Amino acid sequence: MFRSQSPATRPLVDPVVVPGVQAATQMATVAAAYLLFAGHNQPGGGFAAGLMVGAILVLRSLIGRPPPIDGIAIAGLGCLIATVTAIVPIALGSDPLDQTVVSTNLPVLGTIKSGSALILDVGVVLVVAGLVVAVIDGLAPSDGPDE
Amino acid sequence: MSAVLGVLILGPLASASLAMIVRHHRTLRDGVTVSSMAASTALSGWVLFDVERAGTSRLVIGGWTPELGIELVADLFAALVLVAAMGTILLVQLYAIGERGSKWGSDAAVTAPVMLVLSAGTALTLLTGDLFTLFVGFELILVASYVLLTHRGQAGQVRSGMTYLVMNLLSSTFFLFGVAFVYRSTGTINYELLSQRIPELDMATRAGIGLWFLVVFGTKAAVFPLFSWLPDSYPTAPTNITAIFAGLLTKIGAYTLIRFHTTMAMEDLGPAILTVAGFTMLIGVAGALAQNDVKRILSFHIVSQIGYMLMGLGLFTVAGIAGAIFFLVHQIPTKTVLFLVGGLIERSTGTSALGSISGLIHRQPLIALLFAIPALSLAGVPPFSGFVGKLALVDAGVAASSIPIVAIAVGGSLLTLLSMSKIWIGVFWGEANERASLGDPPAMMRLSTLVTVASTLLIAALAGPIFTLSQRAAEQLLIR
Repeated sequence: MFRSQSPATRPLVDPVVVPGVQAATQMATVAAAYLLFAGHNQPGGGFAAGLMVGAILVLRSLIGRPPPIDGIAIAGLGCLIATVTAIVPIALGSDPLDQTVVSTNLPVLGTIKSGSALILDVGVVLVVAGLVVAVIDGLAPSDGPDE
Repeated sequence: MSAVLGVLILGPLASASLAMIVRHHRTLRDGVTVSSMAASTALSGWVLFDVERAGTSRLVIGGWTPELGIELVADLFAALVLVAAMGTILLVQLYAIGERGSKWGSDAAVTAPVMLVLSAGTALTLLTGDLFTLFVGFELILVASYVLLTHRGQAGQVRSGMTYLVMNLLSSTFFLFGVAFVYRSTGTINYELLSQRIPELDMATRAGIGLWFLVVFGTKAAVFPLFSWLPDSYPTAPTNITAIFAGLLTKIGAYTLIRFHTTMAMEDLGPAILTVAGFTMLIGVAGALAQNDVKRILSFHIVSQIGYMLMGLGLFTVAGIAGAIFFLVHQIPTKTVLFLVGGLIERSTGTSALGSISGLIHRQPLIALLFAIPALSLAGVPPFSGFVGKLALVDAGVAASSIPIVAIAVGGSLLTLLSMSKIWIGVFWGEANERASLGDPPAMMRLSTLVTVASTLLIAALAGPIFTLSQRAAEQLLIR
């Protein structure tokens, strides 16, 4: 189901690009996490964070290290998380898509205000990142038709 | 218990996600898909029962007031169409399970989740209480249908998929403009508030809004002269997909037309709608007569039948709208089953071109019977459900003294019968030729077609109660 290591996807060996992408991976992961948490009442959110994750995955594919995951399934998982977040309030006797907000005091970070909408946002991250992986997979040279 | 309305939309979406995760595991995927569709069918039946007993049911999303937020509303009209739509989607999915594996079948790893998305979009479109959510519902259906139409990636499918995409993007853009016009002139997009504010607008603005949305929804419903995309795009897809498109998508266009124009009290547009209806009936059936392929003949009939629904709307009387609603409900399974039978013909002979098949009745008498019943129903021959719908429409037309449209409706029915006999003579009569020898289609395909035919007969048997419900639905729409 997943692509085997055909010549075109053999890992790249380059003294500048490879360490550069590896460094960028770590910074972009932090940036994506920031965007995800900032999204509650500042610019950011699940979609932007998902795009950031997707960008990392594209960069890593360029150096021949595509993510070893099934993008469509990841997108499905994200969509499942998001829809379940929307359904759960119905089961609790509230309106669908309703949310609860919690705020706590944490050391260093101060007062954090977040809510069940964050779970939906995590779902959105997975949908966007999963779709990016699916697109990478679709563009990559394949050894034969899927299935 | 209005929460069911939310489940009808979110449930299929959640199942679609699940089906996406397990898409390569045949049993799990089919289990998730079919059980979700069966649950949707059962729930929509329950909604109909509840709405019939306790009146219109409402659900507010996310706790916002209807002026600001999204509201789901199930009245009798929505509930009736919902039951027909969800039941048909379920039956077609069972047919698809039987059909796959052949070269005409669809790729279930793609279509099963996407069909669930389509089901969620359909429920959203039928149940929405405001114009913008209607737009979202349409887009959900359209995105799903782009995938369904082109997922096999054959040249003909991609080419006709382009036409379909361009036409629908154009009409979606117009739709957005229309929403902006409505909001600018009334300050709301909620149906219920609009029904109070639109009649207060001056004549020109009202007519402008009405005509604008006639074009928008008319493109989706494939009315004359905006139908040209349909007969080219539908027949190229695998049978189960064409059947769902034929049975459901254009009818949803007709549904929104009826809902919008009755809620907004567009009586002044009645003559314009009747004219469009007349042309749609005639041009559609004339196009069907000129075709030589089972699927293409049936595709032109979709256009022709939309004319009858428009006729009921154009009369703007309770009897007319009731006829249109009944006709719409009967059309969803009837039109679908004709395409399913077309698929059975294709599966047992290898083609759907009239010239290369003959004498199928000798080898496949069951297929002949399964074709004859919905075909006669489509033409409006008693005692089938099409007869009840057409009789109600003609009766309403006579009562409203709109004789020209009645004459066209009756003439159109005769021509429908003629083109159905063309399929009958071409495919079933005559000497059995060697093409009719690919053997029986899989049992699952025949069984699900049989059940769909039985459900159209059920509509005929229950014509009385269903028509009473249609009448009450029409009263809800017209009398405020």
